[in-house]
Amino acid sequence: MIELKAICKSFPGVKSLDQVNFSASAGEIHALLGENGAGKSTLIKVLAGAYTPESGTITLGGVPRIWAAPKQAQQAGIHVIYQELVLFPDLSVAENIFIGHAPRTRWGLIDRKAMIQKTEVALSQLGHRLDPRARVGDLSVADQQMVEIAKALSHDVKLLVLDEPTAVISGKEVVALFERLRRLRDRGVCIIYISHRLEEIFALADRITILKDGKNVRAGTVAEFDRASLVTAMVGRPLADLYPPRPAQTKTAPIVLAACNIHLPPRVRGVDVNVRAGEIVGLAGMVGSGRTELAHAIFGSMARTKGRVTLEGEEVPPGNPRLSIQRGIGFLTEDRKAEGLLAQLPVYANITAPNLTAYTRLGFLRRPQEVALAARDIERFRIAVPGPTSGVWHLSGGNQQKILLSRWMAIKPKLLVLDEPTRGVDVGAKAEIYRLIRALAAEGVAVLLISSELPEVIGLCDRVLVMKEGRLMGELQAEALSEESIMTLATADAPAQGEAA
Amino acid sequence: MIGRISPQALVVPLLLLIALTVGAVVNERFLTLGNLRNFTEQLAALGFVSLGQAFVILGGGIDLSIGAIASLAAVLLAGLHGGNEALFIPSLLLVLAGGAAVGAMNGWLTVWLRVHPLIVTLGMASVLSGITLLYAPQPRGSVPFWFEGFAFDSLAGVPLSGLLLGALFLITALVLTRTPFGRRVYAVGGNAEAARLSGLSVKPTIITTYALSGFFAALAGAYYVSRTGVGDPHAGDALTLASLTPVIVGGILLGGGRGGLGGVFLGVLLISLLNNLLNYMNLSTFVQWWCKGW
Repeated sequence: MIELKAICKSFPGVKSLDQVNFSASAGEIHALLGENGAGKSTLIKVLAGAYTPESGTITLGGVPRIWAAPKQAQQAGIHVIYQELVLFPDLSVAENIFIGHAPRTRWGLIDRKAMIQKTEVALSQLGHRLDPRARVGDLSVADQQMVEIAKALSHDVKLLVLDEPTAVISGKEVVALFERLRRLRDRGVCIIYISHRLEEIFALADRITILKDGKNVRAGTVAEFDRASLVTAMVGRPLADLYPPRPAQTKTAPIVLAACNIHLPPRVRGVDVNVRAGEIVGLAGMVGSGRTELAHAIFGSMARTKGRVTLEGEEVPPGNPRLSIQRGIGFLTEDRKAEGLLAQLPVYANITAPNLTAYTRLGFLRRPQEVALAARDIERFRIAVPGPTSGVWHLSGGNQQKILLSRWMAIKPKLLVLDEPTRGVDVGAKAEIYRLIRALAAEGVAVLLISSELPEVIGLCDRVLVMKEGRLMGELQAEALSEESIMTLATADAPAQGEAA
Repeated sequence: MIGRISPQALVVPLLLLIALTVGAVVNERFLTLGNLRNFTEQLAALGFVSLGQAFVILGGGIDLSIGAIASLAAVLLAGLHGGNEALFIPSLLLVLAGGAAVGAMNGWLTVWLRVHPLIVTLGMASVLSGITLLYAPQPRGSVPFWFEGFAFDSLAGVPLSGLLLGALFLITALVLTRTPFGRRVYAVGGNAEAARLSGLSVKPTIITTYALSGFFAALAGAYYVSRTGVGDPHAGDALTLASLTPVIVGGILLGGGRGGLGGVFLGVLLISLLNNLLNYMNLSTFVQWWCKGW
């Protein structure tokens, strides 16, 4: 159905794609894998006409094609759904789906009736129920994704590309998305699927193509791979173990964080959390269960309405991130672009931001010291940047995340709260981040880890608290951790009394 | 913040050079010392307000009350002392502090009401213009003779106002690049939420940028008084928009968080030079406006 042959594409200084071949046929779900920077996005953009390759051919349905503009690729039935959805929040579902090609009445006006009817048809093809008149801004991200897919269907899509669609949804929504994608596949649509989550690949894909450093590494049916061979192909070396070993547990270490009866309506309704020195405590639950808000309430970036937080016995006042940092709490936020990186500032300034007083003498910043710290961390954490004074915006997710981790390690925290620390981070960098977190705990730092990726929670945590609708549903020790035990608690009806910490 | 030479950074110096060359060709008096002094004197007011505007815009805001603050400062400075020279210095200090206070008020309103600074500062400008015209429907007041030296005296051939402007530019550049406050301005302007979550104090930083802008606006007002010897209620009218041009031409991102003072300085030079040049070319004021638009 689609075949790309010997595609080359360079950017100043980098050969992003080097003689890359890719083919996928109608009625299959084809996973495109690779670390960040392997060339997946570039390949997709070549496919969709956003980039013109220097050499190579694109064949669609047996006909060689050259895209002069993305519009041509779209007319040929290629539709890409990017992570950042491009919808108009103030328009209705139907208006979004038919934007630019709305059905017209005799008088040239938009035929609302026909539009709503056609929307219902498109959604029912997907097997998704949604009010065509609903305002898109009011929908959940998962529903918005369905609107994007329905939009693609309205264009008579032949090839649908999804770039990390599950990065923003969770649990049941993922299951529903997969079910809908399989339905599309069975109708003969070719689906190219990009994800960092290997479980999803095995659950969904029929065939796999792996890129590394802009070159083909391996391709084949999903049956030819197992987890280990997939990771090895992506990273280029066997990943002995993604998760570092757990140390012998000291359940007697002193309690660092004691949070009592935390309330932050409407999302957090009376939660107790204790974390001991050197312990990695996981916070699991569905998206929207109040995990992130609990983290904000502990850190003070959202003011809790009730409850007490102490750090090594010392009171942490509500609603003041600056004081929390001074007390020794670090908080790696969920959305690193909106809430983490200081995008306009260089690497060193990003690292020293919470800690400026330590780098000030007589009212002036000691830039050489700042740069030296950054240089040390770049080496220590193997951050791939040109230098301590270069910018951070264009770096890959993994490197940006390492810079933010380095920021919080530099304050010498007693408690580190990590919210989705490996979101959008490739496998190789993930393993390094896990190692960093474990090493930090080994130094006696208490770690509170929020993650939607269950394997990560199971592989890394010493103890897991499960939340649902703002309450703690129960606690699981390392031995009792499994996807089933966590999901059971996360979807249970009432808190399992007595088990809660 | 990072010193890198980009093609855009070369545009302004190039334009400066062109303006100088054209000036030299058009009129033989253009490159004389006399005109240089004249030029530096014209430069000062624009320079002061651009500094203030640069702070505010780097911090992610915009200040449209600069002209109104300058006008009010001018009439108050010329009028308050009522001819009693002993009261002049206190009223000068009062006016400068008042400018900073009005600026801080701008900042406080944007931060606490979460209203866009365009609206806050425009509203403030309107209120201040009203007060100015109530107090002085036409130019009034006077200044002690010695104060006119601020505009007309010079030290070793360089006008005092030029020296002051140069010094302020250097100090400001130092503050922006070498102090925690400067770092906070860039961080807050770039991403206020990320800055807050990094434990940086966002609201005080924003308020301070507006206070500085108010202070510089009042200073520009005082400078006008020293040049004309009288408090003109329309002295600062053109300054608000004029303060934006060098900042933007100088490469400071209008959304905040990026850009340096070097560009602003060149921007101030270029705009003033353009004004001066157009004067020499004997073009009417309206044609001058048209040219600047380009």
